[in-house]
Amino acid sequence: MAASTKPMILAILANREIYGYQIIQSVIEISGGTLEWSEGMLYPVLHRLEKENFIQSQWKMSENGRRRKYYRLTESGKKELEKERKQWLSVHKVLSRLWDPLPAFD
Amino acid sequence: MFDLEKAIKDWRKALNKNEALEDGYKEELECHLRDKIDYLIGLGSSEEKAFEEAARKIGGADSLGAEYFKTDTRGASGHPPWKKSRWLPPLFSNYFKIGLRKIKRQTLYSIINIAGLALGLACCAVIILYITNELSYDTFHKDADRVYRVAVHRITLVGEFWDSTTPGPLGPELVRSYPQVEQAVRIVPPFENASHVLVVQNEKRFFENRVFFVDKEIFELFHIPFLKGNPQTALTNPYTVVITEGMAVKYFGEEASLGKTLQIEIDYDTGSVEIRDFEVTGVVKNSPSNTHFKYDMLLSMPTVVSNLPSFEEDWLNYHAKYTYVKLAPYTNVADFEEQIQKVAKKCAQIYSERFNRKLDLFEFFLQPVTKIHMYSHNLGEMETPGNWYYLYIYSIIAFLILLIGCLNFINLSTALSTTRTKEVGLRKVVGAQRRQLIWQFLGESFLITILAFIIALGLTSLLLFPFNQMAGTELSLAGLRQPVVLLSLLGLLFIVSIGSGVYPALILTAFNPVSVIQGKVAPTSRGAIVQKFLVVGQFAVSIFLVICTLTVFKQLNFMKGRALGFNLEQKLILRVKSNLNHLRRDYEAIKKDFLQNPSITGATVSSSVPGDRTNSGYYLTSRPGDLTNAPRLKVITADYDFIPEYGIKMVAGRPFQQDVGNDENEAYMINLAGVKELGFSSPEEALGKSFMAHYHGMTKRIIGVTDNFHYRGMKEIVEPLLLDIEPSLLNTITLSVRAENINELMRFIRTKWDEHFPGVPFEYSFLDENFDREYRYEEQMGRMLGIITTLGFIIACLGLFGLAAFVARNRTKEIGIRKVLGASTANIVAMLSKKFILLVLISVIIASPLAWYSMNTWLQDFAYRIHMNLFVFFVCAAGALAIALATVCIQGIRAAVANPANSLRNE
Repeated sequence: MAASTKPMILAILANREIYGYQIIQSVIEISGGTLEWSEGMLYPVLHRLEKENFIQSQWKMSENGRRRKYYRLTESGKKELEKERKQWLSVHKVLSRLWDPLPAFD
Repeated sequence: MFDLEKAIKDWRKALNKNEALEDGYKEELECHLRDKIDYLIGLGSSEEKAFEEAARKIGGADSLGAEYFKTDTRGASGHPPWKKSRWLPPLFSNYFKIGLRKIKRQTLYSIINIAGLALGLACCAVIILYITNELSYDTFHKDADRVYRVAVHRITLVGEFWDSTTPGPLGPELVRSYPQVEQAVRIVPPFENASHVLVVQNEKRFFENRVFFVDKEIFELFHIPFLKGNPQTALTNPYTVVITEGMAVKYFGEEASLGKTLQIEIDYDTGSVEIRDFEVTGVVKNSPSNTHFKYDMLLSMPTVVSNLPSFEEDWLNYHAKYTYVKLAPYTNVADFEEQIQKVAKKCAQIYSERFNRKLDLFEFFLQPVTKIHMYSHNLGEMETPGNWYYLYIYSIIAFLILLIGCLNFINLSTALSTTRTKEVGLRKVVGAQRRQLIWQFLGESFLITILAFIIALGLTSLLLFPFNQMAGTELSLAGLRQPVVLLSLLGLLFIVSIGSGVYPALILTAFNPVSVIQGKVAPTSRGAIVQKFLVVGQFAVSIFLVICTLTVFKQLNFMKGRALGFNLEQKLILRVKSNLNHLRRDYEAIKKDFLQNPSITGATVSSSVPGDRTNSGYYLTSRPGDLTNAPRLKVITADYDFIPEYGIKMVAGRPFQQDVGNDENEAYMINLAGVKELGFSSPEEALGKSFMAHYHGMTKRIIGVTDNFHYRGMKEIVEPLLLDIEPSLLNTITLSVRAENINELMRFIRTKWDEHFPGVPFEYSFLDENFDREYRYEEQMGRMLGIITTLGFIIACLGLFGLAAFVARNRTKEIGIRKVLGASTANIVAMLSKKFILLVLISVIIASPLAWYSMNTWLQDFAYRIHMNLFVFFVCAAGALAIALATVCIQGIRAAVANPANSLRNE
């Protein structure tokens, strides 16, 4: 899975508590369909993030009787998100300058 | 008709294939699948198509499972795979724990094992320290590589000599005339036979024998650290002395000694002795043990000059002076040596002019100060030189001890490891790879070896105390800090730990785990031959050492008691250092007084006793008044009783006799070597010939020729000697004692001494003990050998003990069964011991010829040696066998006495 998976998941979960399928949907929505993850692979990543204590999960029963696992950020997950945000922003700055030689307004 | 639920169920079942997918994961995935299907159906897809697409999108069980697996398992380091372990190799903590546990479980054997290795290492370390100390003599002086001693190589009628001593004026001459000489100093021991110098401070009166006159520049050549006083000026004036801190405490106690005075009595060879005040102008550290120049007090050279004005000009004065030079950097030593032969020629010329006799050869040669101790064997050395031969022997012994210790360790470790085949099998079954097991075993042996090394370090410092006492050295652990030593220790560490671990590591781990657990592989089957080799090896080395030690002791005893040419048993020597006039006038009366005591069977007085490094001599001439060409003979002045008391043999003529003529004024005796020196071709020819001696100007006849007796000890050649009855040189009383009650006798002698020589310190010695000091190195070697052999033997026995215990333990079941079947204790002990006894016998057979050959070679060096007889070998063999038997039997008896019910119960 790409390294960008982690910040994306953390960001999507920033203020929400949702389940796996919803996360995939969000990605497709936000990227306008350009990003499509292989869906099954999301779940081991979530599992790993949980092990690292960035997110935590909870099984909830829904109206139609299905059990779903809901995820949300932990405190250290919020910190990690901020860290990732800074890192990726600086990467973005450099790349922007490289791709577009004309001065860009940050 | 497509059944969605069934398809989903089948899909779910397919997920079960991968064990990494736990129930929770599967449920979550299924949930996702269903959501997806609902969504697609909502977009208008059919159930079948929806299912296919959803399943495809999710992915296969295997790849999903793999991802989960990566997350869920922890590597051997205990960390998730994306967190690499820091610096410890995997499972290190586990190995450590197991290693400790193993030691705890097999405590007895482990202790024996480690003790054996530690002991061997410690012995080896002590010997190495000794050897490096011997090789480091005089290397601590600043610029030691530029400091040389000047010595003399000469050929006279009597033979070829190398002398450590040089004429007095040589030092200053060298500094004056040769720019390469930065500085030259002389070291002059006290004059005449005064190997002891009387030093007085208030009530304290002692004889000191490490007192020297030195030039004040000596501190530039030799490293003599000052604690008080100024090295530049300390010895500028006459009647000043620099003392060591040991001396300061001895004479002044806690008080400061600088500026105080000591009264020192010196005999300047002018015939009179005087005691004068010397001011203490400096205190220095005690002289270390690794220097050939060991001192307690240093007197200023100007003192000599003010008493002997001719000292600085007399090139012929025979008194011992040691001359040292410090050469400028980059001096070509060979060239310099050639240049100073000019001075040598001048010397030889002066000599030939004075005595009208040409020397065949007289030249100077240079000796680097760092090489004096080990390489120089001139006449008149300051102290007994070191001996390469013995260093080699000690090195070999150190190596042998080390060998025994290490072999022992490897042997026992290997034996112990054979019990662990089951453990190996189990580990393999639960997934340990062979590589991991190899590291485990090597790690364990590494740990144990390090433990042994640490213990050895402690043991070494313990052993150093008694060793320093015995050898008179000052060894300490600091000597081990040299890089060479440390590197070799490290290398040894690796070799031993690998050696002891290689069997379990490589051989054990190769076994098929299943067959091992099933018990199909017997624990002791492999490596038994290697074990046997090791046992034989250890014992062979030990027995070799024992035989050699016994032989050395025998030879030493033989040498001491050997025909030195005179009796040295039971001779008490009393030195009269002051109040000599009474002795020289009234010695007959004094002798009679002592002889009152029945324990004293004889008495004689002389100017020196055998063993003294006497330098006194007469120039003899057959033409009265004409000393040209006069040969010089060493002289011992004596009384009528000297020859009979010392049991010296005559080869021609007669000894001094009281009732025959006027021996006091008319008779000389010479020894066999003197015959040739005086120019006669046979002893008989010498009889009756008259000579005048330069010393007293009297002309006397030779009335007797004695056999050559070693009046200077076994190691020196017998130089020509003259015996004269001449009271003015007498200073020693020899009492032949028959000691039943030594204490009473000494009290009697002491009383008489105080009567005749009040105020003179009472110092006595036994002649045979004096001679023992000649053989310092041989004695040392004998003692060291003895100790080391004992230790080596102990180590070997420890090894045998451990091994026997181990073997017995392995055969407990067998022993139990035999007992039940009616074997007696004796039978069982015999059965267990048989194999070991055989091995020890083989060791004896191997060791004996080797020992015989080595000792024979060693004995060749001695002109007078014992014959090796088989008795020694039998004693050793029997002894070794007995000890080995005892060792093994202890274990055998323990095993035999155990209750068979206990051992058989474990089935």
